[in-house]
Amino acid sequence: MTPGKHSRAFARAANAGFGVQGLQKQRGKRRVTIPQPVATMPVSPVNGRRQPSVGVNVGLAPRKSISFVGASKGALMKGGYAGANQSRMAMSKNMMILPEAKQVEKMTISSAKTITQVTDINGVDVTPRPLYRPDPYSSTGKPNKLLTSQDGSHTSDFIASHSLYQNTINPSMLGQFTRSVLGSSTVSKSTVSTTESMAEDLEEPSFKRERLSSFTDLQVMRATTGKIITKEDLEKTIEIILTETETMNFLNLPTVMFSVESEEAEKVSQRNKNYETLCRNRLGNDLYVERMMQTINGAPKNKDVQCDKILKEEKGIMSTAWDLYDSYNAMELSTLPPKRPMMDSSSKASVPSKDWEQSVPGSNLEKISEGSSLMDIENVILAKVRDEEEDNSDAVFKSDKFQQDLFFMERVIMENIFQPKLAAYRQLPVLKEPEPEEPGDFLVDGKLEEVEEEAKKEEEEDLEIDSEQSTIPANLERLWSFSCDLTKGLNVSSLAWNKANPDLLAVGYGHFGFKEQKRGLACCWSIKNPMWPERTYQSPYGVTAVDFSIGSPNLLAVGYHNGTIAIYNVQNNSNLPVLDSSESPQKHLGPVWQLQWIEQDRGTTGDDKREILVSISADGRISKWVIRKGLDCHDLMRLRRTTASTSKKGGEKEKKGEALISRQAPGMCFAFHPKDTNIYLAGTEEGHIHKCSCSYNEQYLDTYRGHKGPVYKIAWNPFCHDVFLSCSADWGVIIWQHENLKPFLSFYPTTYVVYDIAWSPKSCYIFAAANESRVEIWDLHISTLDPLIVHVANPGIKFTTVLFAKQTDCLLVGDSDGQVAVYELKNMPTTLDSNRGDVIVTLLGPKSSQA
Amino acid sequence: MIGNDHAEVEETLKRIQSHKGVIGTMVVNAEGIPIRTTLDNSTTVQYAGLLHQLTMKAKSTVRDIDPQNDLTFLRIRSKKHEIMVAPDKEYLLIVIQNPCE
Repeated sequence: MTPGKHSRAFARAANAGFGVQGLQKQRGKRRVTIPQPVATMPVSPVNGRRQPSVGVNVGLAPRKSISFVGASKGALMKGGYAGANQSRMAMSKNMMILPEAKQVEKMTISSAKTITQVTDINGVDVTPRPLYRPDPYSSTGKPNKLLTSQDGSHTSDFIASHSLYQNTINPSMLGQFTRSVLGSSTVSKSTVSTTESMAEDLEEPSFKRERLSSFTDLQVMRATTGKIITKEDLEKTIEIILTETETMNFLNLPTVMFSVESEEAEKVSQRNKNYETLCRNRLGNDLYVERMMQTINGAPKNKDVQCDKILKEEKGIMSTAWDLYDSYNAMELSTLPPKRPMMDSSSKASVPSKDWEQSVPGSNLEKISEGSSLMDIENVILAKVRDEEEDNSDAVFKSDKFQQDLFFMERVIMENIFQPKLAAYRQLPVLKEPEPEEPGDFLVDGKLEEVEEEAKKEEEEDLEIDSEQSTIPANLERLWSFSCDLTKGLNVSSLAWNKANPDLLAVGYGHFGFKEQKRGLACCWSIKNPMWPERTYQSPYGVTAVDFSIGSPNLLAVGYHNGTIAIYNVQNNSNLPVLDSSESPQKHLGPVWQLQWIEQDRGTTGDDKREILVSISADGRISKWVIRKGLDCHDLMRLRRTTASTSKKGGEKEKKGEALISRQAPGMCFAFHPKDTNIYLAGTEEGHIHKCSCSYNEQYLDTYRGHKGPVYKIAWNPFCHDVFLSCSADWGVIIWQHENLKPFLSFYPTTYVVYDIAWSPKSCYIFAAANESRVEIWDLHISTLDPLIVHVANPGIKFTTVLFAKQTDCLLVGDSDGQVAVYELKNMPTTLDSNRGDVIVTLLGPKSSQA
Repeated sequence: MIGNDHAEVEETLKRIQSHKGVIGTMVVNAEGIPIRTTLDNSTTVQYAGLLHQLTMKAKSTVRDIDPQNDLTFLRIRSKKHEIMVAPDKEYLLIVIQNPCE
């Protein structure tokens, strides 16, 4: 296109020059040096569709015809080409192509060929020269007579160039071309030969092509038209001299700044000062007067340009804050090699390397995108898509995220189902949603305004009811129960809360009696999902004790009926214990009845509290286990049988009773002192409670005698550290005082074995006791003769364990059917001083002993 | 391990479906094709399409406010049901539950 542009420029320049100078017809003058053709062609742009208005040709009588015939018909006319032609063609022969041959013919051929020459004031010829100068020797073919008509002034140069240029003409255009040439050739006053030639040409259409090829060339070289190039000519060495032209300055922008250090700096600054003074003087000076002048405005000319239709495409993209953020992140992560051979990633374009990191689903996605992009082979697609759907669905199922989502979904569903119960557990206000026709529904925190209003009304009603209800006695309201198919039929043997997560509960299932032994199960339940345990650890032996560690709350110690102790890590899903004592040489030989993690001060070495696991079992040993490389066992105490000697002093215990078969007394339970972890109480099957110390492993410090049957549980009062509670198979619950070896208070509410007791964490007066048939809540402040609340069990079910919830007013009760029921304590009487430690002593009175 | 996980996943899905009030459970892939559903196909496809759009909008909203945040769960409570959606890039887990006791 380049030549074209230039040519256009030429044309315009020519025209301009033309305007300035007027046509200069130079016939007979030969200008060798500066060929300029430019014809008076109207400058219309290459693609000019209309007849060039000849108006531009001022003063030119003969009209130029042709030239740009509307190139509407698909002309191949490229702008550049046309332009080039235009410029080259000396005579306005524009061969511009085009199909309007007929039109062309009609045109008068009277267009005068004129060469426009541009000269400046001094008479120097400054007409623009064409950029392309064809080699005159390269022209071949017979001279085109058509062109002879051109003024002799035509130099060979440009004609030759023209012809050369013509060589590239598309043969399809030749036909019209010739015609147009014919028509356009400005015969004018030239030689008559033109007409003759024209006539000849008309008659000889067959020679069109040849003619065209040699179209303009050789015209000029009339003298040498018949010259035959001889061999000598070819072998002649032709000198080509390259000379440097003089420097042409196209643009000269003088600087307006001078360095202060330059030579002219002084002059410049002087000039500046002069100018400043001049400006200042200007104001009142007569020499400077404002005056208006009118300038002559030149006549504007409108020029229209038409171009190809601009194709527009709309493209929209959503730009959001997160989109930008993702793109930036993707750029950072783009160092990861994109391994996938994605052909058409339009649908998956949003998959950055994040997906790439997901191994299985990522690779399947790749396959899918490949499959989806293979649009041509449908069969393959179908087959692939089916395969990948299966792969994909499997991948979806296998992905961790899916499992996690399922987990959350289950919890959410649970929340919906158990919402009021959970809200009651967590002591959140439960708002009722008004339903016109539908059954009741509950909302948490009132999402709808209407609901809020109605709920407020209901709350007021509730408050009124509450005040009325204060006369209603305290009761246990059952919220829900933890149970599932796995646990059905098993006996709940122990309950323990997690120390770090107050929603996590460990439940051990196992039977107490030797004959009833079935398989055992230890489960971790979460409050958020009461229908399915989070973890289950199965074992062939019954579980008799569970406890969560304090220091590492993910460790769960489980004691079995066969004496084994296992430690599980509940963080992962594995069913295998982290540590197991089954191979330890010092493992217990009887059922482990109680386990507890104790943080003990290592007073001697001054270390931080170290955690040990203490267990008591039916083989009469209390041992502590330390986790070093595996479980290390160390006996804290061997429980020896003692005889019940009430009358004598405690010192002669050992001597008597030598005739017993075994000197070990099976231990049932123990309780460490809440303050002093060196002291602990141990209950035995004999009914004795021994106060022992970790420092002495041979002797008891004291023995509390009161029970006549095995002591199943001992519990220290969390507020009053001198008081502890014990329950036993002799149907009794006894309150002891630390210093007193005789029972302080004893309760025999029923004729059933009391399996478990627990102090309430909120009040020092309240404790719960579970016996076979019922759960009792005692409040010592109110009555020491009767329990405050009695909850009777369904027939056939025994209550075996009881545990208070720490932050809420709830009680967990485990029974022999594998259910752990959660009850809420309602309408408990509140006492102001229930948290003080010494009140219970004052209440109970000093050292009163009741049988 | 994969087999175990798969079995566990199946079990969890069954449990979810058998919970009280659950009307339907659907797992739909990113293109809207149901992978697993307990409802009929037309309903599933309808839910999948509509919820997909809503999830995209919700996700866009959450991320517009803070691009480092992301949508983890979507619950729509209506008069009759509650629709719970756990969205992900490759799938949508949809559960429809009737929370009335």
